[in-house]
Amino acid sequence: MTAAQLAKYVAFSRISATEARREPNELYGRMAFFVVILGVFSSLWRAVSEAGMPLAADPKSLVWYLAATEWILLSAPPIHVEIQEAIRRGDVVYRLGHPVSYVAAEFARGLGLLAVRAPFLGVTAFVCAFAFTRWTPPLKALLIVVPFGFAASALITALYLAIGLLAFWLQDVAPIYWVWQKLMFVLGGLMLPLEVYPEFIQHAAVFTPFPSLLAAPASFVLGTSLMTPGVLARNLILWSGATAFAVSWMFRRVVSDVTINGG
Amino acid sequence: MVANNLSFVRALVATNLKATLALRSAFVIQVVFMALNNFTFFVFWWALMVRVTTLRGWNLSDIELLFGIVAAAFGLTVTLAGGVRHLGRLIDDGALDTLLTQPKSVLVHALGMRAQPSGFGDLISGLIFVAWAGHISWRTMPIVMVVIVASALIFVACGIVFFSLAFWLGRVETVATQLWELLVTFSLYPEPLFGGALRLVLFTLLPAGFVGYLPVRILRAPSFASVATLLLVAIAYLCAAVLLFDRGLRRYSSGSRFTTFG
Repeated sequence: MTAAQLAKYVAFSRISATEARREPNELYGRMAFFVVILGVFSSLWRAVSEAGMPLAADPKSLVWYLAATEWILLSAPPIHVEIQEAIRRGDVVYRLGHPVSYVAAEFARGLGLLAVRAPFLGVTAFVCAFAFTRWTPPLKALLIVVPFGFAASALITALYLAIGLLAFWLQDVAPIYWVWQKLMFVLGGLMLPLEVYPEFIQHAAVFTPFPSLLAAPASFVLGTSLMTPGVLARNLILWSGATAFAVSWMFRRVVSDVTINGG
Repeated sequence: MVANNLSFVRALVATNLKATLALRSAFVIQVVFMALNNFTFFVFWWALMVRVTTLRGWNLSDIELLFGIVAAAFGLTVTLAGGVRHLGRLIDDGALDTLLTQPKSVLVHALGMRAQPSGFGDLISGLIFVAWAGHISWRTMPIVMVVIVASALIFVACGIVFFSLAFWLGRVETVATQLWELLVTFSLYPEPLFGGALRLVLFTLLPAGFVGYLPVRILRAPSFASVATLLLVAIAYLCAAVLLFDRGLRRYSSGSRFTTFG
């Protein structure tokens, strides 16, 4: 990709970031949801610790674990919704003729939104987790979580893009998204570290990208990291490559179908 | 008047069901995936409660019961009154015009305009959760049905209130949706987790207590007084919501829509 081509996609990112800053309602909504969910779970972990903790971590670090996983998940913009609508309305056909890749442009837009959401939600996560626990994990752990968390959010955005493209075949991708999201909850260890789940779930999770997206980056705040930073970086790169390949294959199929059907 | 509205509701529901079932494969996919979605979410509780047998007096069966009632009530709401979540946009876009000229209640029409097929998935999985909790038998079935319907009425009432804020505040889609999601979120977690002022909020402004906690208490230890309380509360919330909508309708400004509607 040349510098001129790259500049086009940077422009897409900049425009969507500007739009996100101008219409912050959804972001405020997500921040409010973040506060509530951390409040609920800090209360839940207190109740669990009264009943006897089922794992080595203490309730405070579990609240921080949840703050990290939720930050990663909520920062990723659900771009599949807009892609689905564009496909349903037929607007996507006009976009296909533009001198930019539709897929790359949508991903660039997603990254622009992510660049606005991640800092706001990160600060919300930090403030809320501190308010509920009166404790912070070691600075070194937080410094590892932030870049890996951002990279994981970017990969989740790319996966949303793939889900959105499924609308060419399915029209409504909501059911796929629901199940994908809940698999993320369980196999990604969104609310509970993976070690709490039965062994067959832990084994199944290894063959999916979900642990590398949520549990692994967040586990650094528990002090018992699921994998080393090197292994996590390798996994994220591998899954990014697999996602890029899958998205590009899907899009080629889609474009050929659209062409055959006369656009 | 009531009989007239009831026959209209029956006709609306029948039409919506026909429309929903017309796309049979899409309908089946939505129902199955929503049920799968609910079961997958519950894995969290199964994993946790295998290791911690009780949480401030609540065991796994209580949580299954809570989850089942809320899922079934939510499913019933979005199946029969799916338009409630679109009220805000209808009001803000001035799209109620087409309903104002109809001889039937605007609110009933707006609520019944859409049926969400995924609601059947919620309803079915909710009933399975209630059965798992050991609360479905010929003796308990009528009470289960009553608490689910009451809980659904409160969901509808809250939806009307949240989305009718558009009459006064304009574009409230995001805020109203967030309030609606907060209600669902709080309803799905055990009652003893919440105390103090929050507990008061959960039994008034954001009545998760009446959507989930009171129905669970009723099914654990049924009594005429508690069932009557739940029904009265549901009717009171619904009356308040209808009054608020009617008040708001007086402030409604037309979107000057000229469309056919039927």
